Amino acid sequence: MADEQIPVLDVRGEICPYPMLKTNEMLDGDQKGVLILDVLTDHPPALSTVPPQAMKRGYEVEIDELGAGEWRMRLTKI
Amino acid sequence: MTTDSLSLENSKPNALIPISRQTRAGFVVVFLTLLVAFLISRQNGEVAAVWMLATAFGLTLQRARFCFASAFRDLFLFGSGHNMKGIIVGMGIATIGFAAIMHWIVPNPGSGTLPAEAHILPVGLSVVVGGLLFGVGMVIAGGCVSGSLYRMAEGYIASWVAIVGVIIGLGALTLTWNWWWNFTISTEPKVWFPNVANLGYTGAIVITLLGLVAIYLLVTFMELKNGLFMPHINKKIAPAINFDERVRATIDPVFKRGWPIAIGGVVLGIIGIVMYTVHMPLGVTGELMRASQLGLGWAGVDVPTLDGLSTLGGCTGRSGEPGLLGHTFAITVGLLPGALIGALFAGEFKIRLPKKKRRYFQSITGGVMMGYASGLAIGCTIGAFFSAVPSLSLSGWVFGLAMAAGAFTGTQVIKRIG
Repeated sequence: MADEQIPVLDVRGEICPYPMLKTNEMLDGDQKGVLILDVLTDHPPALSTVPPQAMKRGYEVEIDELGAGEWRMRLTKI
Repeated sequence: MTTDSLSLENSKPNALIPISRQTRAGFVVVFLTLLVAFLISRQNGEVAAVWMLATAFGLTLQRARFCFASAFRDLFLFGSGHNMKGIIVGMGIATIGFAAIMHWIVPNPGSGTLPAEAHILPVGLSVVVGGLLFGVGMVIAGGCVSGSLYRMAEGYIASWVAIVGVIIGLGALTLTWNWWWNFTISTEPKVWFPNVANLGYTGAIVITLLGLVAIYLLVTFMELKNGLFMPHINKKIAPAINFDERVRATIDPVFKRGWPIAIGGVVLGIIGIVMYTVHMPLGVTGELMRASQLGLGWAGVDVPTLDGLSTLGGCTGRSGEPGLLGHTFAITVGLLPGALIGALFAGEFKIRLPKKKRRYFQSITGGVMMGYASGLAIGCTIGAFFSAVPSLSLSGWVFGLAMAAGAFTGTQVIKRIG
């Protein structure tokens, strides 16, 4: 699967609670039932707040460090 | 066949412990922090100790991602008690240590004497209004005073804006303090549990710890109601085969990955206890109050004599201390290199600019609210809450409850802001 096909939610520059709020809004609204979603963040606390919410909605989460202070959380529907 | 296994090991890009630019900068900051400590110690050994403790405080806040704003807000927003549980653990530890220190200062609590320096603050309308306002402000700004301070060091520009707001708010409070003093604060009692109904230290400790356990259970209940569970996150953890990887396996949990919140709570509790033995319980608004008064003077506004403030104790009560490198300076400013060291070693430092303009407005507004409130309540989440509950003071509980109500109001506001 090519990377460009994966929908991306870019919340870089946002601090708590917005990364989690925006991810939830997407998973509950626009992208409801989406199989895979990349969330980009530069806010470290989001790495521990977004995953529990995604898990609750049936996603598993993989975190990759993209560079200094930036991460990608890949949410995949189980 | 030996070449095979060799090439396998060498194929890993991280075969040598990589020293990134941020890590190198981290070592420079460690050196400079120690240098400042050394220079301060030539003048005043106690202030130097406070400086180093503040650095440890900042490092711990950063590593554990300790966030009081999140602790209160996320309970209402997502039913998550992650941060709140860490705070409860920290206050529980500090309670035991504080009680021992206070017992040493005032062996007989029934005598009516209050232990000097403990954060036993007046209870009344001022704490309720302060707590409500602070709760709303920290949710709107996205961090409390200590949270904004350590995020300043991590490179969050919005946090710089929030702290400017706090200083402005403290300035506004300075100009209206005497009204509040005459209106309510001067008649508000300081309620110290060991002094109440012959509770003594034992009774007061039992009441405080039972209160903390009750909050812990309530938080757990709220989490359960929201169906939250801590997931197992897939992290790519490879077995440590060579020497470098073994070393990294020891270093990474401390400097690279975030600490579990309970560990953060324990360490903060211990730092609070040591800080009390060296000087006074933790509090970070004193220096910001001083900055606001300097700012007022600089702008040509007469700074009024603040009635009664210096008799109250707490951190803002110390803002009158003269000299640049005083205690309040060491606590508040010393926190910054600690958080910076944590961020650099973890490779998390980054200048972060909010993309949305309204976030700046949120930061300044929330900051002003927090500043005014922390002056009114004689401390922020650290001084009037995290240091007041272990001081066996009723004021800490009242401030905490009022903050919870304020944070709830704040969540309603930010849901609408989007």
